[in-house]
Amino acid sequence: MAAPLPTFGLLTRVLHWLMAAGILSTFALGAYVARMEVGLSNLWLFGLHKTIGISLLALAGVRLLWHRLRPPPGPLPGPPKWQMALARATHRALYVLMFAVPLSGWAYASATGLDVLIFNRFVLPPIAPVSETWEARLLLLHQTLTRTLLALVALHVAGALKRGLISRDGTIARMIRG
Amino acid sequence: MNRTLSRRIFLSLAALGAGARLADLAAGYTFAGPAHAAPARYTLDAARSLVRFETSFGPDLITGDMPVKAADLTLDFANVANCRVLVRLDVAHAKASFPFAAQAMKGPKVLDSAGYPEILFKSTSVRRNGDGARVSGDMTIKGVTRPVTLDAAFYRQKGTVAGDLDHLSIHLTGLVNRSDYGAIGWSDMVADEVRLDIVARIDRTQ
Ligand code: HEM
Repeated sequence: MAAPLPTFGLLTRVLHWLMAAGILSTFALGAYVARMEVGLSNLWLFGLHKTIGISLLALAGVRLLWHRLRPPPGPLPGPPKWQMALARATHRALYVLMFAVPLSGWAYASATGLDVLIFNRFVLPPIAPVSETWEARLLLLHQTLTRTLLALVALHVAGALKRGLISRDGTIARMIRG
Repeated sequence: MNRTLSRRIFLSLAALGAGARLADLAAGYTFAGPAHAAPARYTLDAARSLVRFETSFGPDLITGDMPVKAADLTLDFANVANCRVLVRLDVAHAKASFPFAAQAMKGPKVLDSAGYPEILFKSTSVRRNGDGARVSGDMTIKGVTRPVTLDAAFYRQKGTVAGDLDHLSIHLTGLVNRSDYGAIGWSDMVADEVRLDIVARIDRTQ
């Protein structure tokens, strides 16, 4: 394993912001498709949500692998111990949810009994039994996990803004410019 | 009835050939003589018959059709009360206007074609209704049997002469509510009412 870099590398930063944008837009799209009046003209939005969601799952895999190959620099010192611990726990939970959220969506889609079609051409294998009980449970799980993810993203953003606007210690700058 | 269905029915009727009043068909029997003035068996020309359905999907429609597996028809135009109709539909080979609709329809939440591969219709009474007939019967979908009424109109097939009862076309319309049969999957997106539009071409066997 290579020694940690003093800064965030380009790939690390690209993955970070790509996934940030992806998670927020997939959340918004999911909330929209769950409430829209479904018809022939907007049926494809379900496919788009699944396609972006599964792409984010793949990116989460790349990100975890990259994290192992090129460990990121540790946090800049400054904040009290409990804030450092909270940030660390938030990052861990974000990693878990980057996998758990799309997997729960895939499982939910499997339980409906319909093909899980992504990129309009690839059918993913089902990863949950086809049953209305599982369907209801997994939808609830997908909803709960996505809301938890969004809450953690909010906490993560709050932490970053505190460092950027109050501490002004260059934490945000190094995730943008390296 | 919405415009798409009306147009399709119009087109299918244009293809059916001349309309025939039940009274004229009964007269055909009289001409044929007493030997034929009895209930006659018919077979369905399945390749030229079509069981179509449609239902609302948000602002749009899902349409499709279901092949007929078997049909047992005994018709008596002189006395329609003697008519008997038994039809089996092949759920597993049903088609719908887009792939997800077909998969959803045949899946366990709607028709469950694996557990219930057939839809069965068995007439219980046939009455004259204007120029056509009203066919009441029991429809069995997903193992649940409920009464259904279909309106029938009769047509001569192209190339046949008036009064020829050997080859006929029947146009049947009616509707079922899938909630009556517990076929309620995706009811948040797909309507309860399913409209049926059936064109049956039949040939007399005896
Ligand atoms: C990072 C990835 C994902 C995020 C952030 C996300 C987020 C969401 C959200 C917020 C909803 C709305 C839930 C509600 O309020 O009812 C939703 C619904 C949904 N998600 Fe995801 N999702 C992701 C991945 C996936 C994946 C990979 C799939 C399937 C392969 C999927 C399938 C679905 C489906 C089918 C719905 C619609 C539920 C309905 O019809 O009510 N999601 N998603």
